[in-house]
Amino acid sequence: MEQMYAYKCKKCGKLHHPRYIVCQNPDCDGREFEEIPLEGKCKLLTWTRVYNLPEGYMQPWLNFGIVEFENGVRATGQIGFDDGIESGMELVSTVGVVRTRRILYKETIDSQEYGFIFQKA
Amino acid sequence: MSKYDISVDEMEAKLRPPTIGLKPYEPKVIPLTSGEDMLVRPASREETEMVMNGIRVLLDHEKDFYDIVSARIIAELLGMLRYRVQDEYLFLGLVDGEVAGIVNGRIVNEKVGMSYHTMTLKRGARVGAQLFAAKMEYHFDFMNQDEVWIVAESPNGFKRWMIEYELESRPECPHELGGVPTFVLTRALWEKHKANKNVGIRPAFEDVIEANKVAHMPAQIKV
Amino acid sequence: MRQVGIVGVGHTKFGKSTVPFLDMLCEAGLQAMDDAGAKTGRKNVIDQVFVGSMGSGMVSRISGAASAVVDALNIRPAGAETVENGPASGASAVKLGVMAIASGMNDCVLVIGGEGMRAVSGWEGTDFVATMLHPVAEYKYGCTLPSFAGLYTRLCMDKFGVESKDLAIVAVKNHENACHNPVSHIQRKVVLERITNPAYINATNPLVADPLRQFDMCPVSDGAAAVLLVAKDKQEEFGFGDKKFVRIAGIASATDTHVVANREVPTDLLAVRLSAQKAYKMAGMGPDDIDVAELHDAFQILEIEEAEEVGFFPRGEGHLAVRRGETKIGGKIPINTSGGLKAKGHPLGATGVSQIVELVKQLRGEATDRQVEGAKTGLAVNFGGFGNNVVSTILTTK
Repeated sequence: MEQMYAYKCKKCGKLHHPRYIVCQNPDCDGREFEEIPLEGKCKLLTWTRVYNLPEGYMQPWLNFGIVEFENGVRATGQIGFDDGIESGMELVSTVGVVRTRRILYKETIDSQEYGFIFQKA
Repeated sequence: MSKYDISVDEMEAKLRPPTIGLKPYEPKVIPLTSGEDMLVRPASREETEMVMNGIRVLLDHEKDFYDIVSARIIAELLGMLRYRVQDEYLFLGLVDGEVAGIVNGRIVNEKVGMSYHTMTLKRGARVGAQLFAAKMEYHFDFMNQDEVWIVAESPNGFKRWMIEYELESRPECPHELGGVPTFVLTRALWEKHKANKNVGIRPAFEDVIEANKVAHMPAQIKV
Repeated sequence: MRQVGIVGVGHTKFGKSTVPFLDMLCEAGLQAMDDAGAKTGRKNVIDQVFVGSMGSGMVSRISGAASAVVDALNIRPAGAETVENGPASGASAVKLGVMAIASGMNDCVLVIGGEGMRAVSGWEGTDFVATMLHPVAEYKYGCTLPSFAGLYTRLCMDKFGVESKDLAIVAVKNHENACHNPVSHIQRKVVLERITNPAYINATNPLVADPLRQFDMCPVSDGAAAVLLVAKDKQEEFGFGDKKFVRIAGIASATDTHVVANREVPTDLLAVRLSAQKAYKMAGMGPDDIDVAELHDAFQILEIEEAEEVGFFPRGEGHLAVRRGETKIGGKIPINTSGGLKAKGHPLGATGVSQIVELVKQLRGEATDRQVEGAKTGLAVNFGGFGNNVVSTILTTK
């Protein structure tokens, strides 16, 4: 089962998502992070349904949202349902395949990429 | 009286297909993203012949598969004119009297429709998307069918129909166009997507009907 | 600091280019040189070229575009660098040109911005533009630039009461302006009723990224624009003495978080605010000194919010000003007299330079039917990424 993480600065404890190179606390210069599972209940800050998707996507549309978890960490992800999406609603994070990327290198590989898919709480 | 209107003797009667009775398609006006109004209405026999001849120029146009699409449409329309295809329809998308696009298909039986082609002559205004929706409207909302079988020749077609309508993949269904993988628009999928896809103002505005009473092909087809 | 100004401008017709990418860049460059009276070959005075383009390598498959242009225009051995800052590549290239001259390292710089986006399909173009987003936190999900515009618009609607109709009013204004701009991609008026009537809005103005519709965002365009910069103290010597010197009074850029979700205040366009403040400071001016503005309206919501962040209207009231017609030609502060990105078009790398070309025309009094009476000072805002890198430029003839 794939897991999504927040990244906790080992120096000041600030939580980040996604992974950063340098701690984003203006008063901290930390460069090492600890992985903390990022999951659970979150609030939907805003959402959109996009009909014009990039090359390679085989869906008629995708729903995207920006959420804020209870620990204050925000994340962008797909919303896994169509009906009743409203800003401010409570969602729960799950992890699933959000993209299958075809990598053409020496041999062709279809690489599955995991990310947030938010569902109704 | 055209050269295709031959007398119906006993032999000819044996060769003509029966009909289940096609209901008339009520014309509608679709305002396009380009700012113009497009009238969608059935073609007359004369207009069918005009379109069939007018698209010959695309037979050598490989880009976006216009060559195979035009070749097949010519065969289909000739089949219609010579009474050798059962219950086929042809709708025109008209802007100021000029043919902007065409769609055709046929009614196989009460439940199943066979989508043939969608050809856009006026590109960049989503004419094809609107006409495709119009013919699906005919199958489901006028002829009350259960499903329509659809194939695509071009990637554009695949993206616009198969992906945007979430068509059901049914490779076992033998579509009349050459045995390529068949996809199906079911009633459930139509009801799901039609609010978004199917627009049109009815009754059609009088001035738009008038402006498109006599149809003509574009002087130059630029696709 | 050494004074830098513009003595020549060039601009191709935006839309579908009939010539290859490099030819398009050169066409704009030569127009700017001819406008100034600058010569090629032995009489060349240009000592540096910057080319701003996001997709020169990725889409047009040309690396080192600036090096190629210098050779094609016969202005070797001028220095040449290609500049990439997403959709703000153009203004960034101008900023580097200003820095080159102000610092004393160069005296005369040709800046060209260009993009050949229509070489690829719409779906591939969408993917190319999406590469600006954070690879793991955003791009991976299939997010596109319009996705973020949709997410952002919804926030502005919830917080400030911006309505769909307000976006349509901006689009109508920009289309009207573009009808007077011969280089504009789209030169067709749009009737407000047509793009807002619920009976057929799905046909005339379909949803692209709910709540954004087709007319709330710019088209895909090819095009190039160019400016010839010169030091004030060299203007006469280089033979540009009889040209109007449009001074770049202030130019500055600022950055914000890459991941849009991590913006401190989600509705803020902090990079717009900070870059504009810095440019105002450099110019010794404020929002009230601006007579005409070109604000980056890849999405119509951005024109409204940028107008607030640069200080033209109180925060959260920009859409009210739009309803009152204050941003039209003849209004309190005309915005996007060129037609904006909405109707003029948005070849990504060209836009920043194109905005400046429009301001130069306004300040020279050459904007014909879209002229803002007595315009002396103009502001351009060029928005990179989804607002994480913004360049603001102030031009003046004062």
